[in-house]
Amino acid sequence: MKLYLYGIIDSSNQITESIYGLEGSNVYNVPFCDIGAVVSEISQPIQDVTEGAVLEHEAVAEKLMANFTVLPARFQTIIDGKDSLLSMMQSYYEDFKDNLARLHNKLEFGIKIIWSADKVKKSIVKALKKGEQRMIDSSPSKRFIKEKFEKYKIDEEFEAKADRFIKVMDIFFSKFASEKKLKKLKTDNLLLDAVYLIEKDRENDFRETFEHIKSGPPCLRYLFSGPWPPYNFVVLSKKSDFLRDSEQADLFDKVTKCQVLAGPPTQRLVRRAGVDSI
Amino acid sequence: MIANSVVETDWPEEFSEEIEKAQNALPKKIDANPKTVEKGLAKLVLTLIELIRKLLEKQAMRRVEAGSLSDEEIERVGETLMKLENKMNELKQIFGLKDEELNLNLGPLGDLM
Repeated sequence: MKLYLYGIIDSSNQITESIYGLEGSNVYNVPFCDIGAVVSEISQPIQDVTEGAVLEHEAVAEKLMANFTVLPARFQTIIDGKDSLLSMMQSYYEDFKDNLARLHNKLEFGIKIIWSADKVKKSIVKALKKGEQRMIDSSPSKRFIKEKFEKYKIDEEFEAKADRFIKVMDIFFSKFASEKKLKKLKTDNLLLDAVYLIEKDRENDFRETFEHIKSGPPCLRYLFSGPWPPYNFVVLSKKSDFLRDSEQADLFDKVTKCQVLAGPPTQRLVRRAGVDSI
Repeated sequence: MIANSVVETDWPEEFSEEIEKAQNALPKKIDANPKTVEKGLAKLVLTLIELIRKLLEKQAMRRVEAGSLSDEEIERVGETLMKLENKMNELKQIFGLKDEELNLNLGPLGDLM
């Protein structure tokens, strides 16, 4: 029987409460030395990434997070059997121990900020026009250079403006973070896509700071999410197919998106991951 | 079973759209199969040419900004860049490639361009 891996935890004890995972299977801990791999049995590979399956995976990881330090596994991590699982645990034991120690008592929070790229660019064009230097544009080549130069200046100022905004925001959020990862302008409108690793006892301070920041410039739109298992902060010294790769960060976005979409679009949304009891 | 994570926003549709755009910007793998191998190779080669073209263009803009190009040099650089851009547009059209397809996901390093 194949095993579906949800994550690695800092305990070799059996899980006392009943947790059900994908296909409604019982979730249990496979001990290895003083840590464990949390799995459930699965009969067939998952064909499609459905909203339900993503949220079920996430719900198990979060349930574990309440009692253990968790290194969440990549969605759709299926292992051939118990022997393969134990062999994998043996290969990565030191890495797992280091990560579990580093991530102990810490939670991941996501902050996304949208601005209107069009409006920002329009304001830049306006400002640049004021100080514009005339370039002789008699020939097609010179006109081409002139157009390219204008675009270059707009892009340069757009990036600089994004840097300035992000720097200010990050000063506030970083106060409470052990680690962070910031991505600027993933799309023109997505000014900031950040994840912060926060000590459990600083969670409220972090949330309060977010509320404070949110009441700032009305031109910015915010998304706050968490607490998550530390999807983006597991660091392995050797390449792994099951814990940290680009798809792992994708799962974080998939869960966020599933939860965002599950809510009413026109009113304030405070959405809990609504995975029904199985 | 109910998970505890909260996703909180006043603009769910806008965020959903931007997350989708960011996720779909680049394919995770190059689609290489016998039917599309020509296009796949063209995409790879044109991506590298596009990278070099953009670097040249940026360098030229820096020199224009610094005022270190004479009128004749601006004329020459402009003509070269214009021809290069036109040729790239032709090649993109021939292979049915869009601007946003000419990029590579370098994993943890991010996107090439």
